Amino acid sequence: MIDLTTPSIYLDGIPHDRLSEVRAVPGLMWHPYEDNGFWAVTRYNDVAEVSKHPEVFSSGIGHTNLWDLEADALEARRSIIDSDAPDHTRLRRLVSRAFTPRNILVWEETTRSIAGELLDVFIEQGGGNWVDMVAAPLPIRVILTILGVPVDDADFLVELSDYLIEGTTDQTTLSEDAFGNTTPLRLLPFNSPASHALFEYGERIGAERLAEPSEDLVTHLVLAEADGDRLSMTEYRNFFQLLVFAGNETTRTAITHGGEAFAMFPDEWKRLMASPDLMEPAVEEVLRWASPVMHMRRTAAVDTTLAGTNIAEGDKVVVWYTSANRDPDVFDDPCRFDVSRAENPHFAFGGGGPHFCLGAFLARMEIRVLFEEMLKRGIVLSKEGEPVRAPSNFVHGVLSLELGVLEGRASSGGGG
Amino acid sequence: MVVDTERCIGIGQCELLEPGVFRLDDETAISAVVGDGLLPVERARLAVEKCPSGSISMRE
Repeated sequence: MIDLTTPSIYLDGIPHDRLSEVRAVPGLMWHPYEDNGFWAVTRYNDVAEVSKHPEVFSSGIGHTNLWDLEADALEARRSIIDSDAPDHTRLRRLVSRAFTPRNILVWEETTRSIAGELLDVFIEQGGGNWVDMVAAPLPIRVILTILGVPVDDADFLVELSDYLIEGTTDQTTLSEDAFGNTTPLRLLPFNSPASHALFEYGERIGAERLAEPSEDLVTHLVLAEADGDRLSMTEYRNFFQLLVFAGNETTRTAITHGGEAFAMFPDEWKRLMASPDLMEPAVEEVLRWASPVMHMRRTAAVDTTLAGTNIAEGDKVVVWYTSANRDPDVFDDPCRFDVSRAENPHFAFGGGGPHFCLGAFLARMEIRVLFEEMLKRGIVLSKEGEPVRAPSNFVHGVLSLELGVLEGRASSGGGG
Repeated sequence: MVVDTERCIGIGQCELLEPGVFRLDDETAISAVVGDGLLPVERARLAVEKCPSGSISMRE
C-alpha cells in the first residue's frame, strides 16, 4: 500500500512519485484509512469515469471527504457538494445564474481594481509574503463583494476560513467552544467551531438582506426561488459557508502556486510577457499545476466495476485530481510547467459531471485579471524561500511564500 | 446543436465558446439553442466535449 493520506507527507508538497506508482498499479489500489479504507482512483480516464456517473458514485451517501460521518452529522452539514440528483440539481440551479461567465464578467473591473491595489503595495515593498499580500486578499475581497458582505469583515472571514483549513489538517488550535460554539464538533463542517461562527455570520447577513433586499448574492440566495421552492435556512447557511470557504481558499492556492511557478520558471513568464495571447493557456496551466483541491470522495451506490476492479456497494471511492493532472497518458511532459499547452483538459475544477466547480469562471477571471495587472506593471517575481505548506491531504494549501520583485512599476494612481 | 435541459445546470461553457448558438436564460441559467443552432462539425464536437455536465449533443 502506498500512503496518500498521512497529512505530514504533504509538508513536502504533492507526493507525485507515490501517485505515479499508484497509477502504474493495474486496477484500483485499495488504500486502508482509519478503520476501513477506500479505492484510490488516480488515472485520468478513471477519474473522468467516476465523475461522469454520479448515479453510481454518489456524493450524498457519505459525504465528499475521506472520513465517516454519522447520519445526524451528515444531515447537519449537507450542502450542494454532498448531494445527489434531484436535490443537487435543485440546489445548483438555484445559484447557477450568479456564476455564469456572463455574470462573472460583471465583476471584472472590481477584481482589476483590487488586484492593482494589492500589486502596487507588493511592488512598493519590494515583495514579501505573496500569500498574505496578494493571493489571499484578492479572492476573499472579490467573493465578499459578490456576496454583498462588508469589506471591513474580510479579515474576520479570512481568519475563519483559515481555521476551517486547519480542520482538514491534524493541527487544530481552536477550543471546542471558540466563537461561542455550543454545537458538538462532529455536527459542524470541518469539525471546526469556526463553522459555527461562519453560520452565525451568514444567518445575520441573510436576515439583513431579507429585511432590506439588495442586488448581491446573499439577497439572491435568501430570495432564490425555482418553481416555488426556496432554500431552507440550513441550506442557505451551508451554502454561505461553502461559498466563503471555496470562494477564497481554492483561488488563493492557485494564485500562490502560480506566483511560485512563474518565479521558479522565469522563462515561462517571459513567454507570457512576449505573447499576451498565451494568457488563456497560461491560466489553465497554473490551474493544472496548482491542483488546489487534491481529492474528492464518492461512495458506490451499487456494486460496480472500474478499471477491472470490483467495487462493492458502500465502498468509498476517492478520485485524486493531483494525479489525473499529471497523467502522462493525457499530458505531454506532465511535470513541466508550460504556459503554451494547447490542450489542457485538467481536473482542477473536478473531473466533469454535475459537480463541476461552480466557481470555475470566477476563479479563471480572477487569475487572468491578476496576471494582466502583473504584466501591465512589468512585474518579474523571484523566489525568496520555500513555501510553508499546510499539512493537508485535501487542499494543496500554502501558508506563506516569500517572493521578491526583480522588476516592476507600481501604477501611478488612478486607472490601471 | 441540442441542449438536454434536464441535465443542464447552467455552467455556461457553451455560451462562452459559441455565443451565437447558445444562450443561458437570464433567470434560470439553463442553456437554449438560439438562431439556426448550426455549427461546423469541429466546433460542434468541441461544444459537446467541453460541456462539463454532458448536456450538449449534435444532430446532422
